[in-house]
Amino acid sequence: MSLHNDSEGSDEGEWLDVEHEEEETVAITSFFDAQTFPTVVAMLDHCKEHHAFDFAACLKRLGLDFHGAVKLINYVRDRVKQGLSLPAEISLGDFEDERFLRPVLENDALIFSLDEVLETIQGSGADPETKDASPDSLSARNTELEEELEKVRGQFANYRLAVEQTLDRRWGDEADAAPTQKKDDSAYYFESYAAHEIHETMLKDAVRTDAYRDFIYGNKHIFKDKVVLDIGCGTGILSMFCAKAGAKQVIAVDKSDIITKARENVFNNGLSNVITLLRGAIEDVQLPVDKVDIIVSEWMGYCLLYEAMLPSVLYARDKYLKPDGLLAPSSATIWIAPVADSEYVSDHISYWRDVYGFDMKSMQEGIYNEARVEAMPESSVCGEAFPFKVLDLHTIKTSDLQFTAKWSSKLTRKVDGVDGFLIWFDNFFATSRSEPVPAPETTPTTWDKTAQGGVAFTTGPYGTVTHWRQGLLIAPPEETPVMTASPASLSGEITFEAPEDNARALVLKTSWTDPEGHTRNQSWQLK
Amino acid sequence: MSGDKMEVEIAEEKMKGMEHSEQHYFKSYDHHGIHEEMLKDEVRTRSYMNAIVQNKHIFKDKVVLDVGCGTAILSMFAAKAGAKHVIGVDMSTIIFKAREIVEANGLSDKITLLQGKMEEVELPFPKVDIIISEWMGYFLLYESMLDTVLYARDTYLEKDGLIFPDKATIFFAGIEDGEYKDEKIGFWNDVYGFDYTPLKSTALSEPLVDTVDVKAVVTNPTPVLTLDLYTCTVADLAFNVNFQLDVKRDDFIHALVSWFDIDFTACHKPIRFSTGPHTKYTHWKQTVFYFEDVLTVQEGEHVQLNLDVRPNSKNRRDLDIRIAYDLEAQDPTRLAKGSSEYRMC
Repeated sequence: MSLHNDSEGSDEGEWLDVEHEEEETVAITSFFDAQTFPTVVAMLDHCKEHHAFDFAACLKRLGLDFHGAVKLINYVRDRVKQGLSLPAEISLGDFEDERFLRPVLENDALIFSLDEVLETIQGSGADPETKDASPDSLSARNTELEEELEKVRGQFANYRLAVEQTLDRRWGDEADAAPTQKKDDSAYYFESYAAHEIHETMLKDAVRTDAYRDFIYGNKHIFKDKVVLDIGCGTGILSMFCAKAGAKQVIAVDKSDIITKARENVFNNGLSNVITLLRGAIEDVQLPVDKVDIIVSEWMGYCLLYEAMLPSVLYARDKYLKPDGLLAPSSATIWIAPVADSEYVSDHISYWRDVYGFDMKSMQEGIYNEARVEAMPESSVCGEAFPFKVLDLHTIKTSDLQFTAKWSSKLTRKVDGVDGFLIWFDNFFATSRSEPVPAPETTPTTWDKTAQGGVAFTTGPYGTVTHWRQGLLIAPPEETPVMTASPASLSGEITFEAPEDNARALVLKTSWTDPEGHTRNQSWQLK
Repeated sequence: MSGDKMEVEIAEEKMKGMEHSEQHYFKSYDHHGIHEEMLKDEVRTRSYMNAIVQNKHIFKDKVVLDVGCGTAILSMFAAKAGAKHVIGVDMSTIIFKAREIVEANGLSDKITLLQGKMEEVELPFPKVDIIISEWMGYFLLYESMLDTVLYARDTYLEKDGLIFPDKATIFFAGIEDGEYKDEKIGFWNDVYGFDYTPLKSTALSEPLVDTVDVKAVVTNPTPVLTLDLYTCTVADLAFNVNFQLDVKRDDFIHALVSWFDIDFTACHKPIRFSTGPHTKYTHWKQTVFYFEDVLTVQEGEHVQLNLDVRPNSKNRRDLDIRIAYDLEAQDPTRLAKGSSEYRMC
């Protein structure tokens, strides 16, 4: 989630892929029998011809809007289900009860297509057949309808949510929540590609995505019939893993625009009946359930905690997770190791001393206070790695995310001074919260996970590079570089904290005492 | 330095009032990383250096304007080449770093750096003899500063003044790129067993900026647009052109690749550099336009193309690009005709 982009954008349909609509087979169930029809028109014609019920005329007569029409549909289906006949003339009072917002048929395709029906009826007032049928107007109409469909899907998801959570609330508020508001076009265009590239990068980070997949698919017994919450769902991949693994219900929440793509993905993969997608911050949205059995989230940022969504995950854990519920991942360990890489330093730091014959040292200002994100080779590490923090995600509090911890490292090779430090993290997915959290020095390689079905991965320099790479903290050179030989060691204290002016940024500080006994202090900001 | 600090604050304040996208455009250049990347692009920086430093007779005692000066490297080249005075203009706050750099190199009396939009700053000279600028964007025109250079030319350049560089040419060629197309586009067909096709159309509609192996090129390269910086206008940056690609070997065409060449014809010995697949890497890489379909082509055949490029009507920094192709083949089963629309944003 490191490249997480939560900026607002537009929901307008210019970029939506709608070609697949033509290939989908929609089955719209008749009001009065089990017959299904590929189009709303065919179904309504059937009802008109064989059951003397003219839905369109009824809608028009009663002047119903989207939600009124939903209630009418459910009212009719409810009567039929109970074996009751319809009154000769349905009146508004017949279905005013809020309970008719509750769908009688699960995933009623008629409700999905409702906007189209309303559009046709309210449009020219004419039958669809008599509409202008020139190819141009048809294709324009087609585009319109496709855009409508996407809008309705959004409305439908909100509608279903509202129905499931409470019938007491007024519909007017919910309708406002439908993602139809206009937004600044320029911002949208600017972000559209970036948004996709980020998701491509994350999906293609096989270390990351494989770990979630392996954990979820490898533990189907844990997910079977469970209610799962996916925080920051992005394109919906983790939600779909959970649905495939047998979850009863998956609630996927994301505040970014990408959720519109996730909704399409979920629909195209036939998982709409299991996955409910909610747009918004987890702190703001209302879940259709009180409690969930499992929270799955890919919340990790650079150096684990940068721009982290972890506080949101902890909020959701405290509010929604059952006492015996599971968090995936369940724990994380953060590591530090000293690095010595003169080539890196000369390429990126000393470089500014002479740029085509010019002195550009002023570009170095602040260079030792900026944390970098780099994939460093194993060979750059010059000392033993030290696990300075274990986060037990089931129990930690938000306040634990700012901390100071001791570390020490024995140098593993002879260096002309340490150039800085490397920070990375490992993630563990345990199958039960009663399982002990792996000891600090446990790595994904040494963790005895095969017995328990757990999964773990590292973002460190000894593993395959991930999109998180590592945090690189370059220290200013020592004034008189000391020749440092093993088995010399360094030790110090490292602090993680959020700067006062920017809660999303991360400040890393460490002190360290070199083998000569000199103590140094440095702080870096990741922003 | 406190004076500069104030200016930084004023500049940042000014940017707050801008359109979000515009602000991002300027701000993205504040980050050191991009300047490091541009300076380390040897083809780019060395070409400018040679064009300027090897032509001291042209720069001597001249007033030079550096449009979008960044870290002021070109301004310093011009000063070293003997310019009477150099004015560097940049909207980005990198200019405050540039001032420190100029100072550190003892060139403060030769170089004046102005922070602001070209259209708004007040130059210390009514006219300039030479304009230097590194204005090129991806696909030459994407997020380019050419319109600003043309404004500076029309407002400040002496009648017989010179522009470095003064010519830019966009080229196209067809490429066999099955493997990478599959990785970038086909990827969305099956993501861990799931249908992700809603993201595929976006991927197809976004030209890809990446390096292309020269071995992938299966047609001759064809120039589609040549800009003469002395005469071109902003209107020329929206264009529609027909062109033909001649197939050089039996192969497939999955995409078109585009790149540009830059000429400094005012030099004593003309200097040119290319950003094409046949030459050294530059940070502009190349731009790839994938077709939804694959063309099966034989040596000697021709593909007729129409290219339409124009700034997006809502966001001028985005480019709307349309490419129509028509493969003329003897074998009727291989005839192919179609068009694709792209947006660089």
